[in-house]
Order: sequence, then C-alpha cells, then structure tokens
Amino acid sequence: MSAFLSIYKKELYTFFQGTTAWIVLLSYILLSAFITVFIGGFFSLNNSGLFSYFYYQNIIFLFLVPALTMRLWAEERKSGTIEFLLTQPLSLFSIVMGKFLAAWSLCLIMLCFSLPLLLYMEYNFITDGWNIFWAYLGAILSAGALCAFGCMISSFCNSASGAYLTGFLAMFCLIFFDFSKIYDWINVEKINNFFVSHAAYYDKHYMDIITGQISLDNIIYFVLIMVLSLVVNKISIEYKRN
Amino acid sequence: MIVVKSLSKAYGKQKVVDNINFCISKGEIVALLGPNGAGKTTLMRLMTGFVEPDSGSVSFFGEDIKQNRLKCLSQMGYVPETGFLYADMHVYDFLKFCAEIRKLSKADFAQNLKYVLSALDLKKVINQKIETLSKGYKRRVGIAAALIHRPKVLILDEPTEGLDPNQKFKIHNFLQQYAKEAIIIISTHIMEEVEAMAQRVILLNHGKLVKDTTPQELKTLFPENNIAASFYKITNDSEVI
Repeated sequence: MSAFLSIYKKELYTFFQGTTAWIVLLSYILLSAFITVFIGGFFSLNNSGLFSYFYYQNIIFLFLVPALTMRLWAEERKSGTIEFLLTQPLSLFSIVMGKFLAAWSLCLIMLCFSLPLLLYMEYNFITDGWNIFWAYLGAILSAGALCAFGCMISSFCNSASGAYLTGFLAMFCLIFFDFSKIYDWINVEKINNFFVSHAAYYDKHYMDIITGQISLDNIIYFVLIMVLSLVVNKISIEYKRN
Repeated sequence: MIVVKSLSKAYGKQKVVDNINFCISKGEIVALLGPNGAGKTTLMRLMTGFVEPDSGSVSFFGEDIKQNRLKCLSQMGYVPETGFLYADMHVYDFLKFCAEIRKLSKADFAQNLKYVLSALDLKKVINQKIETLSKGYKRRVGIAAALIHRPKVLILDEPTEGLDPNQKFKIHNFLQQYAKEAIIIISTHIMEEVEAMAQRVILLNHGKLVKDTTPQELKTLFPENNIAASFYKITNDSEVI
C-alpha cells in the first residue's frame, strides 16, 4: 500500500511541479465554462441536474485526459527512468495503479470546479439531488475509464507527443463509435435487443448514467474498460521490458 | 553473497550474455570490464531483474531474484547508466521519494539523508531542482538515491562518468569505505578506477566471461605490465586466455 502511495504522490507532485496540471486545470475551467454557457445554454435550459454542464464532459475529457496521461509511461521510457522505476522494490501492479489513480485524481479536481455552478443552482432553483448525483457518477466513471485508457496508450508510445495524438484519436473512436454496429456489418446475427445493440457504445452508457437511466451494465461497462486497459498497460510494460 | 549461475540472454539471434557464472562475497568491490557491447549493462540489468534471462539464475543472499524479486531489490541499490533521475524533482524530494519506496521510517530517512549528503557532498544542492544540476552532481544524486536505504549490494553502471578528478577521488574513497559493509559491483571503462578501487575484475567480451581475476594479476598478465594493455590484448584476442 505504501509503495503504491509513494508512486501516487510522486505523480501528483510531477503534475503540479511542472506545468501539466496547471495548464490542464485552466483549460478545463475555460472550456467547460464556455461550452456549458454558450453551447449547452446553461442559463436558458431547465438545469435541475446540471445537464448542460455534464452533457459535454466527454468532449472536454477527449482533449484534456490525453494531456494528463501522455507522459505517465512514454516519458519514463524516453528519459530512461523506467529502468530506475522498475528496479525499485515495487510491484508493477502498484506502479500502474499509482499512475492511473494520480491521473484520475486530477480529473476529480477538475470536476470540483463545477461546484460554483452547483451552488448557483442550489440557491436559485429547485434541484434534483439524484439527477446531480448520477451526473457526477457518470463523469467520474467516464474520467476513470479514459484515464486508464490513456495510461495504456502511453505505455505503447515512446514520446509524450505521440502518446497525446494516439490517445486523442483512440479516445475519439472509443467515445463516439458504436462498436456494437460491427455485429451488423459482419452480419453475424441481426441483433434487435436494445441493450445488446448498444453494449459497446461509450457515449450511450455515459448518457444513460447522467440522465438517471442508470443500470448495472452501464457501470460494468466503464469498470471493464478500466480493468482491461490497466491489465493491457501492465502486460505492455512487461513485454517491452524484455 | 551474490551467485550468478549459467546466465544467458539473447536479443534475437545475438547472444549478449552467454553462460556466465560467478560468485561475489561481502566486502568485495568487483569491476565489470569489457569493450562497448560486451554485455556489461545487460548483465547488470539481468542481475537487477530489469531484464529476464533466457536461462540461468541470479541469487542474492540465497534468494533467487526471479522468485523473490521485491525482497532482492529491497537489499540492492542500483544506478543505471542513464535515466536514473527525475529531472523535474528537487533533490530532497527525489531522495524522500526513494526512501518512501524503500519504506524507511522518518528517523531512518533523516539519519541516512545526513549520511549520504555528507559522504557525497550534496548539502549545497539539496533544495535545487535536479535539471539545474551539473553532470557530476546528477551522478552523485543518483548514487545518493541508491544509498538512501544503506543497501547490502550496490550496483553502479559507470558511476564516475562525467565527474572531475576531485569528485572521482572522493567517490572512490567513499565506495572503498562502504564496501566494508556491502558488495559493490561497478561497470567502468576507466582502468585507473579499476586499479584504485576494485579487488576483483570480471572481464567480458562478446557476452562471455573471459577473465575473472584481480587487477594486479590482470596487470601482470603481459610483459607491458599495464592493465590497459592487458585489456586490449585479451579483448582483441580471446584465444590468449
């Protein structure tokens, strides 16, 4: 546990010691404020669940999460510190988890910047507590899945810029492409069941959660992305080491 | 004691470490010598568990590194040839990070920090960012990080590269003192360093161990009575052995 914590603390330290965290946080504030107010129509909609804020979170994450995760493994490899790190008495699992949770924590800090909006809503309108809870849960799960996915992409790359670009493109496909349609294309079987036909559509799962139509498969989907990405991340580091 | 048994590693068809065997006891400073590409760095990587061998084993005080990797690594300090520092960290924070990984208590960290700062003359730069340090200081911070938990085994890949003669002298003295309580393995190209520090030389060529001897014996192997000449003759004509 303490080994994992030391990696977690070190990664957070690196984020804030350099410019990464500050740039990402500032970009988040500007982007989310602009999108929520001007595109989401925050002041013109019934925002009982901060819908205009959470509706566009995946687009914001798409630009910012790769910036958080790009350095985590690619930079270690580029600078050679991966040899230092992997010869410390730490399990690879604790290193992978420490890095992933540090990136996820920064996303949680980003989401904290929505609190002024929440307070504004609380004072001026009648809000639906459950709607707000589900919206936050959806954003937190989505951020976690994208962070794990970004860590995995970073473990494949040898430079931070390459990891950003690859991460951005891969996340774009992950979020906006309904992978369930592959079933239709290859004509294995015509699937009419609604849940099955959207089983691999990221944005659909996200929308289900933030609109309060949550079911267990939505949560399992995001957790599965996290687990699979982290497992592949670990395998990739082990493979490249040899 | 470190025991290396039948250790081999190949990258593709090229064998970079080929059936190497040796034992090292406490109190020894062993120099790994060899021309570029002889397999010194790969051998060190195999010993630290960073790279897995194709065959053979490495054990530290009876524990096999493959089976008890974390236990073996906790007794070891390793400074790779490059990339042993996080440039964006401050020296103090980096050493604290290393101590946390090693699960040192606050009291032990304070005591060991005092020891490494004074031994390696790092007090002046303790609050500096690593990227702002000179090459010599960076090397010493790397050694300090490897020493922060007072390991029983210290493995250093070209530890004095980039250091001026004064710094080299200090490091040599320090390592000789430290060797009384530990095993030290250094990889180097500097023959004077071998003569000044090492009690034993393991000479590699094309991934094979071609000589395991003392610096004095290596020096007197050929009429030139010179360690560099012996190195040249052995590594250019392995048949002599």
